[in-house]
Amino acid sequence: MRCMFRFAILTTLILSLAACATTPWTVDPRKLTFPPLDFTIPKSERVTLSNGMVVYLLEDHELPLVNVTAYIRTGSIYEPEELAGLAGITGAVLRSGGTVSLSPEELDAELEFMASGVESGIGDDLGNVSMYTLKKNLDRTMSLFAEVITAPAFSDARFELARKNTLEAIRRQNDDPKGIAGREIRRSLYAGHPLGRVATSETVQRIGRDDMIAFYKRFYRPQGMILAVSGDFDSAEMKSRLEKLFGGWRPAGEPLPAVAEPLPTPRREVLFAQKQVSQSVVRMGHLGVEKNNPDQYAIRVMDYILGGGFTSRLTQEIRSNQGLAYHAGSRFDIGRRFPGLFIAETETKAASTARAISLMEEIIAGMTKEPVSTEELLLAKESIINSFIFGFAKADSVVNQQARLEFYGFPDGYLENFRANIARVTRDDVLRVSRKYLRPDLLSVMVVGDGKKFDKPLTTFGPVREIRLETAK
Amino acid sequence: MMQRIARILAAAAMLATAATANAQGLAERVREHTLKNGMKLLLVERHTSPTVAAWIRYRVGSVDERSDERGIAHLLEHMLFKGTRTLGTSDYAAEKPLLEKIEVVAQQLTLEKAKGEKGDPVLVEKLEKELAELEKEAGRYVVKEEFAQIYNRHGGANYNAYTSKDGTTYLISLPSNKLELWAAIESDRMRSPVLREFYTERSVVMEERRRSYEAEPEGKLWETFLASAFNAHPMGQPVIGWMSDIQNLTRTKAESFLQRYYAPNNAIIAIVGDIDPEKTIALVERYFGHIPPGSPVPPVAAEEPQQQGEKRIEVVGDSGAELMVGFHKPTLPHRDDLIFDVIEMLLSNGRTSRLHRSLVVEKQLVSSIGAFTAPGHRYPNLFIISATPQAPHTSAEVEAAIYGELERLKSEPVSQRELEQILNRLEYEEARQMTSIGGLARNLTEYEAIAGSWRYLIEHRRQVAGVTPEDVQRVAKKYLIRENRIVGFITPQEVAKK
Repeated sequence: MRCMFRFAILTTLILSLAACATTPWTVDPRKLTFPPLDFTIPKSERVTLSNGMVVYLLEDHELPLVNVTAYIRTGSIYEPEELAGLAGITGAVLRSGGTVSLSPEELDAELEFMASGVESGIGDDLGNVSMYTLKKNLDRTMSLFAEVITAPAFSDARFELARKNTLEAIRRQNDDPKGIAGREIRRSLYAGHPLGRVATSETVQRIGRDDMIAFYKRFYRPQGMILAVSGDFDSAEMKSRLEKLFGGWRPAGEPLPAVAEPLPTPRREVLFAQKQVSQSVVRMGHLGVEKNNPDQYAIRVMDYILGGGFTSRLTQEIRSNQGLAYHAGSRFDIGRRFPGLFIAETETKAASTARAISLMEEIIAGMTKEPVSTEELLLAKESIINSFIFGFAKADSVVNQQARLEFYGFPDGYLENFRANIARVTRDDVLRVSRKYLRPDLLSVMVVGDGKKFDKPLTTFGPVREIRLETAK
Repeated sequence: MMQRIARILAAAAMLATAATANAQGLAERVREHTLKNGMKLLLVERHTSPTVAAWIRYRVGSVDERSDERGIAHLLEHMLFKGTRTLGTSDYAAEKPLLEKIEVVAQQLTLEKAKGEKGDPVLVEKLEKELAELEKEAGRYVVKEEFAQIYNRHGGANYNAYTSKDGTTYLISLPSNKLELWAAIESDRMRSPVLREFYTERSVVMEERRRSYEAEPEGKLWETFLASAFNAHPMGQPVIGWMSDIQNLTRTKAESFLQRYYAPNNAIIAIVGDIDPEKTIALVERYFGHIPPGSPVPPVAAEEPQQQGEKRIEVVGDSGAELMVGFHKPTLPHRDDLIFDVIEMLLSNGRTSRLHRSLVVEKQLVSSIGAFTAPGHRYPNLFIISATPQAPHTSAEVEAAIYGELERLKSEPVSQRELEQILNRLEYEEARQMTSIGGLARNLTEYEAIAGSWRYLIEHRRQVAGVTPEDVQRVAKKYLIRENRIVGFITPQEVAKK
């Protein structure tokens, strides 16, 4: 070994020009080839309970664990504007407020003694209730899980507590500069739409326990609800258990109200919030597309090249070449239900704020000017295609992936055709979608920072609207 | 970032195992192999999906830095993404003399800037210009982010690295047919790294510091709290370094640290996933077996003198109030560390935990509260309780309520049911930790490095089962006392002005 090592060092010194050398142990990683990967997308079983609930099941007996997630058609997009915050509170108290048979304290104690968990929450366009358990506690945990969904008690005391916690979060919402910037650009880009709403202390003060119970009754029902079940169980037994737990639950419901599509903002906005910090937070963006857009595959490739990770144009120029930031990137979100947002972001010291904004604008606009290089295209496509497999690394991910596709109404074959659809994208496609969907002229800008210390005033980028921050007392 | 990692480690310290089928499963499934050069290899075969996680952990972290090296372990973590003599460059022979010139100019510049107001601004400007030109010239040979490019093209996921007080870890997951790619890249990175683009990266780290510590009041509190807790031990130094530390780091210093420690004898590798252990051992031998060992990392000689009375730290911030209460404690293998694991779970694990029930639900003094061990594990550390007061309650009220709960630990024996609940939780955690190949690779490397053997993962629960109510009372009385306490809090600006 030793001799060989000396020889190797010598070789490297002499041949450092051609170091992709041929010494016994130096292999050029760029030239390695690999055996093909044996992978087919795992399939879960889909059944419908007698009350209409859809269930996806996938057994996995490696570990004595079971996971279940319920997908419920609700969301903050359905809450009345004057009660913003209602959905979030309902989601929390559904679990924390106990059930008709168990007080909040009893429910917590029983679940935690078994080391089982049931959690619940409501997002923009989706409600979830999930559970985990050791196999030996499956029966009891599942019946508690079902009780939380079908017979919650919404304890008054826990409702008050959740409301207080929400008010505290609002009181502290201006503590973190990145949080401020993310919230305010979203508010501006979804202005006039429920997705652009934020809860305020006024709207939360207005919420009553009755509002919460009415919100629950309106949306929690078997029609449209999907369960994803994975882990160490027997499918036949699980189906009859679910039928027993949920089959008799048949609350009446009205159809979901329609929610309008968000409209693009007619012109860019330059937003600014003063905060005495050494580093500015920059967010830039505009409205994007949703999942039925056939250009989404070319957009994903474009997004990878522009702002996806270490190799992206934004990271390479702003971070690696210029040392202006630790983090720089973008994400063109393909909306699942409504058009998502295109957001580019970075944080840089106050004295390079304007420089970073100009650079980002330039790099984004650059995508619309000439085709990306063959190498960039290849890297983006291969990365997306070859890492696809990590979406299916656990039974839990597989079954939830499939439940979500149905929940949001993705077309049949979406997953099966995904890689082929990415593989088809050409340089011309990337240029075409860059020109069509990246709108440098409409990029709104949000900056949180210490305005006096910026290298140039933000008015360089257009008329500035200042957002006054109230801070916690 | 570091406090988040510390919390993850604190959580990981809870993962454990005992006499269930799973635990035995793990004990039987880990294959150990040590290379002649001292590199430790831990393998777990698992065929759930055709993927593999590979983690490399060096037993060198920020506690191993001397005072003029603060921040270097973390900056090196960044620099090791910059390539080798073959990767990340189009022509190393042409690049090398430029890198040497850059170093000469950068050192002069760093020195002149360190003079502060006494420095010569004309010289600074001249050197800055010179440096920029040289960097531009050297930049012509740089192949940007080539490691990431190659990994990404082959479907790599979670390609990342992190630095803590205790160690530095490089991680990735790959489709399992690409494991040889990992071996080729990582052995090259271990053997012949080149710290190109050093001074731009130093600026990136300064931005990272602004982002994680200076712009975040909680980050500021965290580093002030830790620095105040330790008088002598480097455990109190921020992993990222103070701003002036980073400003004065040079490539020469980084290379000296690199050559001392980043060698196979200080490395632990875990490979978990769809692998054939025999073939994997042969692969690792082929790629890493010839790399010569370096010096072992010497123990940190500094000892923290016993604290002589309560320390109280205030940070005035543009944010709401925050509170942290810490107590010095020994680390493993000291048995009291294990008893602190139990105390931590009693106080803060879940909705039924004592602090949550008392301060969040009953008294409604805080919106959240947690307990954890930090900032590292190789040397004596701190047991910390961290709370976010809920208006209109003050940090002082919260502090008093926390002490009330700590007094209960001393005066009332813990119930058998509470201890049983902790063991049930550990039983669940031991199964759950197996669900993610990356999570298991992390635990194996962490425990091998910190506890001396990954087997701590399968012994911990049995040891916890031996903890008695008297143990908890004894430890609470010994450590959770005023003289051993550090209290840190954020006072909101508006309040401070009054």
